[in-house]
Amino acid sequence: MMYPYDLAKQEKEQFLIQQLNDVTLHHLECCSDYHAMIEKSGGVIQTQSLNELPFLPVQLFKMMDLLSVPREEVVKVLTSSGTTGQQVSKIYLDQETAASQTRALVEVMKPVLGRQRLPMIILDTKSVLKDRNSFSARGAGILGFSNFGRKHFYALNDDMTVDWDGLHRYLKEHLGTTIILFGFTFMVWKYFYQEAVKNNIQLKIGESVLIHGGGWKKLQDEAVDADIFKRELKKQFGIQRVHNYYGMVEQVGSIFVECEQGHLHTPNYADVLIRDAITFEPLANGEQGLIQVMSVLPKSYPGHSLLTEDLGTILGEDDCPCGWMGKYFSVAGRIPKAELRGCSDTFAYDRKGANG
Amino acid sequence: MRLFWPETEDWRQAVVDLQQKETLTPFHSAVLSFIQSLSMRLVRMRDYPEVVALGYWLRKAHIHQMREAWLEETKNRFVKSRGTVFHLAPSNVDTIFIYSWMLSLLAGNRNIIRVSGKEKLQTNALLSAIIDVLQDAAHTMIAERTIILTYDHDEQVTAFLSGECHTRVIWGGDDTVNAIRRIPLAPLANELTFPDRFSLAVLNAEAVVHASPEEKELLLQHFYNDSFWFDQMACSSPRLVVWTGPNEIIEMAQTAFWSLFDQVIRAKKADLMSAIQVQKLATGLALATDVQANAFKHGTTFSRIAFEHIPADIRERHCGGGLFFECKANGLPEVSTMMVDKDQTLSYFGFSKEELVEFVEMIPTRGIDRIVPVGQALDFNGVWDGQSFLQSFTREVVIL
Repeated sequence: MMYPYDLAKQEKEQFLIQQLNDVTLHHLECCSDYHAMIEKSGGVIQTQSLNELPFLPVQLFKMMDLLSVPREEVVKVLTSSGTTGQQVSKIYLDQETAASQTRALVEVMKPVLGRQRLPMIILDTKSVLKDRNSFSARGAGILGFSNFGRKHFYALNDDMTVDWDGLHRYLKEHLGTTIILFGFTFMVWKYFYQEAVKNNIQLKIGESVLIHGGGWKKLQDEAVDADIFKRELKKQFGIQRVHNYYGMVEQVGSIFVECEQGHLHTPNYADVLIRDAITFEPLANGEQGLIQVMSVLPKSYPGHSLLTEDLGTILGEDDCPCGWMGKYFSVAGRIPKAELRGCSDTFAYDRKGANG
Repeated sequence: MRLFWPETEDWRQAVVDLQQKETLTPFHSAVLSFIQSLSMRLVRMRDYPEVVALGYWLRKAHIHQMREAWLEETKNRFVKSRGTVFHLAPSNVDTIFIYSWMLSLLAGNRNIIRVSGKEKLQTNALLSAIIDVLQDAAHTMIAERTIILTYDHDEQVTAFLSGECHTRVIWGGDDTVNAIRRIPLAPLANELTFPDRFSLAVLNAEAVVHASPEEKELLLQHFYNDSFWFDQMACSSPRLVVWTGPNEIIEMAQTAFWSLFDQVIRAKKADLMSAIQVQKLATGLALATDVQANAFKHGTTFSRIAFEHIPADIRERHCGGGLFFECKANGLPEVSTMMVDKDQTLSYFGFSKEELVEFVEMIPTRGIDRIVPVGQALDFNGVWDGQSFLQSFTREVVIL
């Protein structure tokens, strides 16, 4: 069976409950803010069931700095991507958590990408990696995924145009080899696919696999779904395999990648739970609600159990035709932003570009 | 730049035309008849309780009452309108700026109203009702003295209109008020500002415990209206609940109050939004890290945070949508020490007028401009944030 998708329900639950309980204790001890939140809200400290594991809304990391290690041990700060004017999450990683993040990424991708490091095309600009100590979600994603490839080629120039000449040369050089492509869903579509269509450029990339993530929100607005995305990329570039992944900067280790069936899978050390979007009560498989993600890896900050603002549905557990064990699920998108009425702070001067 | 009224594209010409119209006398018959027509339209808009309340406030009998009071107050004095009043309304056409516009009309002024750029006539029932009434030939005198427009954050336009007006009214948050205040105003003009405020309810635990079931039900219905009509985002919606009385009585009162409140909210079947539920949970947990916070209880219908003492900055950290800060006090004298400049409306249950008058005298800060029974927190009054609209919208000519 395929590691890290090889633990069956009962075994996995036991493992997670024990590990997550330990992590909860660790954060209670090392993060006084987390301690205050759990204690004052009456959170369950040692749970018998994953449903009862206390969770923090992802938003909290936008509202405050949460650390379970002394600041001087922080080696990396990850920030979420946010549109201008929005607050971004700040995630503090120490050596250990940063290392487990890298390791986890390698492990969850291995069943898709294999062992060998393959030539890799990154559908982004090199300039997002400028600051090596503070990474945006985009930078962190690229840096993490670039470990899977060699001879990296960044296909976008700084002005977001495609370096078509360079790309042609690169493809020629690696003719006959499997190639990995990596990019963010929206950017792949807008800056690579749509540019190619506009300029009438067709490629035959051949034996290749595209890994993409970052959310469908902007593509939903253009009525592009996963099927259209896959079909069009195959048609335009000849890309054979396309795997989406779901993950967030706020929870290291929670990278859920699509299997060959197009289902997002939970690896052994992470899990998802669906909660009612209003009451936060756990929902049964097949019902849509807010996605709660759990991972045993976050140690340097209390992010082992998080309530996201994404809606999703658990499609099944241990019975995906692809053969991987664990829960598999789909993501429907973000909940709509709240716009409360009222008489204060609602004029354009205050809110310009920062609605929500 | 988009003009909702008058129906022209040339807003500068519209301002020139408006300025040529003479002002009216206070409580002019043309104004009274316009307000009456508007009132009749608004009370029929049953889907919007706050608009109905506005329509009701504008009804003939109430305006007549105001006129009587005005005549009494200005007896043997000569009071005129100021001229042109420039209103900057908050972004969601809230009813509150209509009140200030109506009072300016009653004072006899010409009015220029800037509404939010987000508004569309088709989707804003209140705005389209107003335009409808303005279109009625019977109200030409008012129509000629009214401009309703919208424009993006454009300092030059704001500066131009500020130079033309005799009174400027700014509704909005602190940042808005600060931003617009940097734009010069005609030297002779005065200004009314309505920045961020904070409001609370003070409940006498003894009175809550001893209230009959009917009284309790009514109290909670009222409290619901105060807090939920504007998703707790109006400046006068209660966000903090202060309980007075002995500890064990307070605990009894809290149990009764909040469980009944939950039932009341559920019975309303109000639409809860997921984003607000998440926001309340996140805000509550973040606030729970404050040393003064004792407990945070997140519920589906509302959330509560108990504080030992109310921290100074807590007022800025409220997210609306049904999140209640709570604390305990021995009595009103202790409550008076908690009040800060920002505090606007105190709604109460179980206190006598004498106690409240005494309380007001004890407040050492600028805080508290309104003290009303629970259920009237959102009711508009011609005196707001400590200032009388009719007074600010008029001027007295001294004749010796």
